[in-house]
Amino acid sequence: MTEKPGALMDQRETVFIVDDDESIREGVSNLLEAVGINAKCYATAEGFSAHWSNAMAGCLLLDARLPGIGGVELQDRLRESSIKIPVIFMTAHGDIPMVRKVMKAGAVEFLTKPFHKEELLNAIEQAFASDRARRMEEAVLDSIRLRACSLTERERQVMELVATGLTNKEIAQRLFLSLVTIKLHRGQVMRKMQAESLADLVRISERMNPTRASG
Amino acid sequence: MHPRTGFTPSQRLNRLEYANSIKALLGLDVDGADLLPADDMSHWNPTNSVYDATMTAATEIGSSNWLMEYAARPCIIAGFFVLVAFLWTIPLQHVIAYPFVFLFFGAIMGSAWFGGIIAGFVAVALSSVIVTYFFVPPLYSMHVAKESQSFFAAFILSSIAITVVSSSRKRAENASRIARDQLEAKVQERTAELQRSNLEIKESERQLRTLTEAIPQQIWRTDPQGCIEYCNHHLCDYLGLRTEELKGEAFFNVVHADDKPLFRQGWQAALRSGDRFEIEARVRARDGGYRWFLVRSIPQRWEDGRIARWYGIHIDIQQQHRAQQNLVQAQDDLAHMQRSLSMAEMAASIAHELNQPLTALVTHAYACREWLQAKPANLEKASATAEKIIHESTRASVVVRRVRALFQKEEQERELTSMNHLIQELARLLRDEAIRKDVSIRLLLANDLPQLEMDQVQIQQVILNLAMNGMDAMMRVAKPRELVIRTERRGVGEILVAVEDHGPGIAPETAARMFEPFFSTKPQGTGMGLAICRGIIEAHDGKIWAENSVRGGATLQFTLRLQS
Repeated sequence: MTEKPGALMDQRETVFIVDDDESIREGVSNLLEAVGINAKCYATAEGFSAHWSNAMAGCLLLDARLPGIGGVELQDRLRESSIKIPVIFMTAHGDIPMVRKVMKAGAVEFLTKPFHKEELLNAIEQAFASDRARRMEEAVLDSIRLRACSLTERERQVMELVATGLTNKEIAQRLFLSLVTIKLHRGQVMRKMQAESLADLVRISERMNPTRASG
Repeated sequence: MHPRTGFTPSQRLNRLEYANSIKALLGLDVDGADLLPADDMSHWNPTNSVYDATMTAATEIGSSNWLMEYAARPCIIAGFFVLVAFLWTIPLQHVIAYPFVFLFFGAIMGSAWFGGIIAGFVAVALSSVIVTYFFVPPLYSMHVAKESQSFFAAFILSSIAITVVSSSRKRAENASRIARDQLEAKVQERTAELQRSNLEIKESERQLRTLTEAIPQQIWRTDPQGCIEYCNHHLCDYLGLRTEELKGEAFFNVVHADDKPLFRQGWQAALRSGDRFEIEARVRARDGGYRWFLVRSIPQRWEDGRIARWYGIHIDIQQQHRAQQNLVQAQDDLAHMQRSLSMAEMAASIAHELNQPLTALVTHAYACREWLQAKPANLEKASATAEKIIHESTRASVVVRRVRALFQKEEQERELTSMNHLIQELARLLRDEAIRKDVSIRLLLANDLPQLEMDQVQIQQVILNLAMNGMDAMMRVAKPRELVIRTERRGVGEILVAVEDHGPGIAPETAARMFEPFFSTKPQGTGMGLAICRGIIEAHDGKIWAENSVRGGATLQFTLRLQS
């Protein structure tokens, strides 16, 4: 928690507690407050899903059995909506098929009530870490996309061709331009994208278009 | 005899009975009407035929040739004999004095013999005339000299006497000959009839045997004493024995040992009373395996009501029996599943109810510690959290109280009860289960038991549970399996009820824990049975415990005392 990037500091990490039992919500939030973790409580899955967004930082502490939309169902809905917040499940009577299902769907941990403080805090820390990594990645991508917006159409073409490994001469031939023009464009691209080397530029380009890089 | 079936009445009756026996065995309505026509028996008269024949012959002769019979034929016969006597007398009269007497006597006798009394009298008349004319002085005239009159009169009287005697002898002989002929004809007729009916009986027996062999059931027949006489090949094939090998005790030995006493008892009672006999029993096949059969036997009786023989049939009911067993088993499994399912559901529900407040409680307790350990300690928060802890503990104890109430009736309905009566009632309930598990239940009830106040349903539940456990424990031991339920007076106002099995007994490590909840040695046990039993008995101020009996097996027992 010491090396938070400046952009992420604005947002306080929060544990979103969803449980229909008020005493559980109170108990868990009291404990989290005592250890200095921000917590926010919801009584139902519907109540939580009214507020969700990818901008949420932290993790979801979710009761597996809830009235209305259940915990397992809420996990499915989050995935369908591409909301990537990490989920910690808790239940008073979980069965093995249920545990297998939610862990396969990417849950961080499955806690059986009543649970130890360390179990809960470890799970939350793990979830926060993975959420931070997710948000950092997203922030990097956002800045790259922002930089890419300043490129002209011609510069974007040149960058893509450079990233595929063509020489300046080959690019000039393909775009029917002079070698000097290509060199000029390339210089602009390197500057605008804040790339320090050719390798750096290729990496940035891959991040922008992950499908093409893998394909 | 019956014109169509060719049976004498006695044969018909037998056959009718025989047919009825077979039909009764096969479970059809006893009614011979469709097998034999129910005509009256007026057609039958054993002497009719011979009698008719003689009558017809006599009538024919009389009507056609009366004149010939009674005039011409006697005259010719008499004339012939007298002429022969006359012709012989003429030469002989010079040799023997009065030869005519003998010769004419002979002629008259012959005429009367061969021609009958009419011919005899004709011969007497002819002889008198010829003798008067030719041989009595004066010769060649119809006068009779005075000195010859007495001789001539004697001749005529003798002649008449000879005629009468001879003709009546002849008639008697004829009559006896006719009687003999009639007798002989009758005998022949009877013999032929007997032969025919013998053939018919043989034929009907052959047909019946074919029928009994063709029926796909096992059929047997015994004499009135129950000794086996015949088995059809289905039965012989199934048993792998011949009929001769089933005589006497062997008849019972093919029945399963468990069914044998009842089978023997039933069969002997049927033999004594003559009532039909029916029982379900396992019968051993040639390979040593057993199948369930419905054995049914009915007596066939003579006309005077005595039993002629017994017919028996074995109907294979293995499939039905197995289906029934499976059904019972399935019901049992289902009941058990429902029981354990509801137990599991209840356990989950109780766990959830308790875990919720416990989770809140634990997290509050952690939080409380955190508030106190903070620098500086947040006493306000810690105090508020402690309040929460108290609140959640109360909530948890409410849940516990509710669960207890669920298992325990608040107000127990206790009334004065005779323990022996309670056990006898229960033994009736257990009977079916005991039969299915091949266990016999023996009650050893003390007479001097005081009546105690108890919740009858609960105490019955306890004994039922102990009895079922005992029967289950004996499932894997050899038969005979016996479960003993014993009552005993213990001091003043205390009784002991013991349920004894002779299963494998109780392992020492089990004995210590067997009354604990959720402890079970059975794969599908809930582990609640004996725990509930202990709860009930202790609520009655009683004690429940288990020990291994000296004879092997376990004894589970409890005491109940008079409530002060």
